[in-house]
Amino acid sequence: MNNGISDQDFTDRAVRRLPPAATPPGFEAALLAAYDAWAEARPQGWRAAWRAGLRRFADLVWPGVPAWAPVAAFAAALLVGIGLGTALPFAMDEDDIAFSLEQPVAFNLVSSDQPQEDL
Amino acid sequence: MHDPDAEDVAKAGRGDRAAAARLIARHAPKLLTVARRMVGGEAEDAVQEVFLRLWTHAARWQPGQAKFETWLYRVMLNQCYDRLRRRATQPLEAASDVADDTPPPDTGLDESIRAGEIAHALDGLPERQKAAILLCHFQERGNIEAAEIMGISVEALESLLARGRRTLRTRLAHLKDFAGDRS
Repeated sequence: MNNGISDQDFTDRAVRRLPPAATPPGFEAALLAAYDAWAEARPQGWRAAWRAGLRRFADLVWPGVPAWAPVAAFAAALLVGIGLGTALPFAMDEDDIAFSLEQPVAFNLVSSDQPQEDL
Repeated sequence: MHDPDAEDVAKAGRGDRAAAARLIARHAPKLLTVARRMVGGEAEDAVQEVFLRLWTHAARWQPGQAKFETWLYRVMLNQCYDRLRRRATQPLEAASDVADDTPPPDTGLDESIRAGEIAHALDGLPERQKAAILLCHFQERGNIEAAEIMGISVEALESLLARGRRTLRTRLAHLKDFAGDRS
């Protein structure tokens, strides 16, 4: 520290002396024109809208990953579900089904180490 | 954390021209001011490039990941660093491409000389020290925000600031009346 002020104050004062930079006329219009050019060149139509919607949905389901990841996960889950749904009824024995219908399931809610007579 | 720009970014990404115009009006002048101090005559090109990046990313912008303004300034600084590095390989072109520090017509001669010297001293700082000084002193941003923009820790930013301030002060030590001037 010299002259009684800190380096921070010195820098503050120095930087404040710099003339303000004016935005040149037409600069913002040029930026907007570049935006118009971009907007015109970007893909439009129902296909682009569908893709954007899918993209947003994918971000909602699984944020931050490429679109194929949630699509692949969904497809895999669907395949497993369909596979199980079609295979499972044939895998179950008819006797097991009949047995389960005839014998209602009984639950013993009392712990085995408690005396049964009290009940 | 509410990001005041998030809605406009999403709208601009969907082709909303008014939202794009609002973003430009809100950020372009401030970006240009810092870019001028960083790369001088290339500032307008740098800011153009920043906004082109913005439009291409706007549709995929995810609010909550980072504050929009922080992202925007980071892109701008990276643009400036790239240009400074490219310039370093072309010293002759660089010499003619410094910031325009012509003061307004009503400014006194002494003041204009002083402003020119300050700008020259600032230009001579290493790029990251200059960026830190501009963000914290010129734009009056807090250390945490400036560190986020620069993608460094607050401690690293403070170290850059300390070195930058010291160098600046050493280079401007001949401005005798300057340190005591409290106007």
